[in-house]
Amino acid sequence: MRLPVSKVWVGLSSAGLLSALLATGFTSGVHRQPVVKPKPVTLSVLYMNQAGYTTSVLTQMGKTFHHLHPNVTVKFTFLPYPQMHSAILTSSAAPTAQYDVVLSDLIWTAEFADKGYTIPLNAYIHRYIKNPGGIPQSIWNGFLIHGKIMAMPFLANFQNFYYNKKLLKEAGFRSGPRTMAQWLHQMEVLKAKHILRYPYEDSWKQAEGLVCDYVRTAGEFGNGNLFTPQGKPIMNRGPALKALQWMHMLYAKGLINPNSLTADEPTAADAFAAGQVAFNTNWTFVTGIMNTPSESKIVGQGVVAPFPVVPGTNTRTHSATISGYQGLAIPANVPKALKPWAWKWIQFATSATVQARHLRSQWPVWTSVASSAAEAKLNPSYKVYEQNLNAAYNRPKVANYLTVSAIIQQYVHEAIAGTLPVKQAANEMVHQIEALHP
Amino acid sequence: MAVERVASLGRPKLGHRIFRALSGEYFWFYLLLLPSVVILLGVVIIPMLYALKMSLGNTSVVVIGGHGSVQSTFVGLANYVALMQNPAFWQALRETLYFWVVSIGLELTVGIGMALVLNQKFWGQKVVRVLVFIPWAVPTVVNAMLWGMILNGNDYGVLNDLLLRLHWIRTPVVWLTPTPVFQGVPWLSHSLGALGSNLAMNAIIVGDEWKTLPIVAILVLAGLQMVPAEYYEAARVEGASWVSQFFRITLPLVGPILTVVLILRTMQLLRAFTLVYTLEGYGLPLLSISAYQQAFSFGAFGPGSATAFIIGMIALVIAYFYIKRLYREVL
Repeated sequence: MRLPVSKVWVGLSSAGLLSALLATGFTSGVHRQPVVKPKPVTLSVLYMNQAGYTTSVLTQMGKTFHHLHPNVTVKFTFLPYPQMHSAILTSSAAPTAQYDVVLSDLIWTAEFADKGYTIPLNAYIHRYIKNPGGIPQSIWNGFLIHGKIMAMPFLANFQNFYYNKKLLKEAGFRSGPRTMAQWLHQMEVLKAKHILRYPYEDSWKQAEGLVCDYVRTAGEFGNGNLFTPQGKPIMNRGPALKALQWMHMLYAKGLINPNSLTADEPTAADAFAAGQVAFNTNWTFVTGIMNTPSESKIVGQGVVAPFPVVPGTNTRTHSATISGYQGLAIPANVPKALKPWAWKWIQFATSATVQARHLRSQWPVWTSVASSAAEAKLNPSYKVYEQNLNAAYNRPKVANYLTVSAIIQQYVHEAIAGTLPVKQAANEMVHQIEALHP
Repeated sequence: MAVERVASLGRPKLGHRIFRALSGEYFWFYLLLLPSVVILLGVVIIPMLYALKMSLGNTSVVVIGGHGSVQSTFVGLANYVALMQNPAFWQALRETLYFWVVSIGLELTVGIGMALVLNQKFWGQKVVRVLVFIPWAVPTVVNAMLWGMILNGNDYGVLNDLLLRLHWIRTPVVWLTPTPVFQGVPWLSHSLGALGSNLAMNAIIVGDEWKTLPIVAILVLAGLQMVPAEYYEAARVEGASWVSQFFRITLPLVGPILTVVLILRTMQLLRAFTLVYTLEGYGLPLLSISAYQQAFSFGAFGPGSATAFIIGMIALVIAYFYIKRLYREVL
């Protein structure tokens, strides 16, 4: 049966009108505004509970974000640093990501970009970050792989040189060392005068921290780059070799606590805060610990300083340190509908406003916050922080970084302990890394 | 040919045979067995076959079109060949075998010794038996933290503090560093090093044995209590010495239980992970640690799975000899 055309038009017009009335709320003579209730969203965020922002600071940030976006609940998973990478890896293997936002350490950036585990954030950053120049280019560079920004900078972590002025005064020194020779002399005097059994403690356990200290020490000798720009490993010559010899010498002479070979960063920080050693090179969290009476026996004695360097090197910065920037990234297998919310959380957590609110916790990535009056009031050493931040060397930016790092860790550890002669360990390190990159 | 055909005609079809088996007198037998079979398939057999597949492939995690998955390209035995050509693999194998041999040696001597003592009648025997069992009840991670404090390389480490007070050492020893032992005797230090021995390894063996010796002792004790007292009485009447009684009566009769203990402990020791990883991270690369590092740190699931399968093969070979001996003893 066919309906006449006029009836079809009438029917369609009536239906259209009814739809329009319904859409404008014209159903019972009352004009209503349409209320679109946003769907509840749970964002799963992976962060570490070892360094960086504390769990309580992050939880507080999550609550504030929920207050701004009541439909979004931020659920945190806090893991120790060594478990973070495998957690991201296994989450990437699932059809849908277990975490919607992950902490991306500097050293994983190249791997994640190469394997496509996280998405580039260029589009979001260009659209929503009004002043990207507010973050130093050196920090952006850490997360930049072939023009793609793989994570939004969250935390500008780097190492500082810490010394105990009271212990140095006992040994007859009025200030900390500015050159490697001065540092060695101060350690020898502290030991010779029996002020300390071991003047220095560091985190030389066979782990990532050892690579950081090795790169930084090579930097102090003039060049913290372990690879040439063409990608050839150069640990068996120049500053990298001198760094290895220096580290072994400190161990052999008993100037560094031999327990450093099994110590991680918090252990080394505790030894410094307990007044057991005069020197410690560590991440920025030590500044807070050494001045907190409940955690430190050296309140008022610890000094944050630029690193001693070999004269004639690092002439621009007069220091040399290691970067340990953290970024926030979005895994590639996060559902499409969640990605905008994941970015909203990243934008919120990395914003200058939020970082200004949590200055006590970490050094901010935004220059405006770092050089603010509030920061200067909270952290009298902020100028030293700036100097060290500008003197930061990066660890090698290679896609199979963790494999390269494992080789470096093994041979640096063996060279320090004297299990292998320094030169042989350096040659073996280079040989094995070259075998990975024929 | 004709006989085969007749035989095949005479046998009921497979479907009928399965139906008869399931509906017959064994119905309940199969039904009650089913949950165990399903669990075994789900958590052991299928994952094991999947791991085997990964070990034979270039396996990696990929994210395509917003969906993550594990992809594998078949490469045959290439992962196994690459491992055999890697000096790090042989170093890990040496250290794993050293860990196993020394631990088993301690369990055979100290474990049996403890069991023999606990088998004697003395005042407070029951209390001692309970106390001895406590370390076994301590979770492995807690045990690791405990030994981390005992073996701390500073002067406030429990062991260092004790030895310093006794004037047995002059400076604290960093027990958990994989440095050579007996450095004053170069040939001995070198030989032991070649076998996979180092300070950290020996310290970790002590920590592991503190936890596991009690279970070995208790199991051997159970075996000892099944040996009839008359055998010893008869041996004493015949004038057999204590040593003779031990080797001619105790050891042969405890043999089957000892073999079971050795099989279990061999499996555990070859895949030992928690204690070593908690104390050393990747610093003491036993095969199990190496397998984990390759798979979950380097993302190289092929070599990681191949290493895990080699651990399984070694355990299987060792278990084969134990079981062969066990059946010979039982029969």
